Amino acid sequence: MLELSGLFAFIGLTSFGGGITAYIRRLVVTQKKWLTDEEFLPGLGLVQLLPGANVVGLAVYIGNHLKGPLGSVVALGSLLVPPFISTCALGFLYFHAGKTADTKALLAGITAVACGLMASMVFEAGEKAIKGFFDVVLILITFALVRFLHLSVPIVILIVAPLAIWWHRPRSSKDSGSTNSSAS
Amino acid sequence: MNNTLLQIAILFCTLSLSAFGGGKVVLPTMHHDAVQTRPDYSFNNHQWMDDADFVNLFSISMAAPGPSMMVVTLVGLKACLPYGTAVAILGALVATLAMFVPSSFLVYFAGKWWDSWEESPWRHSIMDAIMPISTGLILAATWIIAKTSIHSVPTAIMGVVALLLMLFTKINPVLMMGVAGAISWVFLR
Repeated sequence: MLELSGLFAFIGLTSFGGGITAYIRRLVVTQKKWLTDEEFLPGLGLVQLLPGANVVGLAVYIGNHLKGPLGSVVALGSLLVPPFISTCALGFLYFHAGKTADTKALLAGITAVACGLMASMVFEAGEKAIKGFFDVVLILITFALVRFLHLSVPIVILIVAPLAIWWHRPRSSKDSGSTNSSAS
Repeated sequence: MNNTLLQIAILFCTLSLSAFGGGKVVLPTMHHDAVQTRPDYSFNNHQWMDDADFVNLFSISMAAPGPSMMVVTLVGLKACLPYGTAVAILGALVATLAMFVPSSFLVYFAGKWWDSWEESPWRHSIMDAIMPISTGLILAATWIIAKTSIHSVPTAIMGVVALLLMLFTKINPVLMMGVAGAISWVFLR
């Protein structure tokens, strides 16, 4: 249990978003051998499907797999408590010293890079998402509903998801020759 | 104060259960609800901070250790800051729990009947359906960040260089932020 806590505290403090699931797999499956790939990959599939950060979902899934509900709580707590403390500290620092010319100049560079990182995530997500012309339409509909109609994200999901799921519904081999088939 | 804490809890519980594809996708709604806007968009608008604060807090959470969703911690902290340091920490705690606990419960309970569902062809349908939606939402989030962070030729160059480095190299993004921060401190002060 202590090891579980230690590992997720380590993951929490060394993760900066992106590529983190491969990293967890290497630690938990390849190095520690706590789970086999047959146990890990269904968990990954689950957390990718459900809302929330993948790393957080994996902590809950792996914790539960190894030690039951208490394992989930320990893994989740260990993952979040150290970054929570450091993030709060940085927050207070920002609100005390964030308005000086020095910090403003420093933050100008950091926010520009943060924007570049977000843009790179659009490309990465888009590469996986676009399997046909209609996926581009879905991306643009979603973007327009948020950007121009200022709808909230839950409402946008409720509007677009039925359309998207219908489009990507499982098709029997009989259908696959129709003009609709975008999956390839 | 209690009102603000309740608003934080409601906002982030809702977003926790909507974050299909990770925390980035709910950024537009977080921005809409937390940041002062023109009066015509004031529905659910709590006016906790301005655009510059929001984008700075977002960038700090990207540069700091932890999941990038830790921006919610900072939004909660800022929302309660007017009530003093102790309440600000409480606000940060409420925001963090509200963002991470509901989705974790979902993973925990869904995991129990996941095995029977794993082979279903609908699983791939839903996955394929989620991806374009989350791409569109991340695009909308990037737009919001860009509007505030890219305000001059030097910041535009740094943003584009960061994008290209992310796409074509494996340079650590935190290192990029450090270098860009140093460059802009030297030249833009």
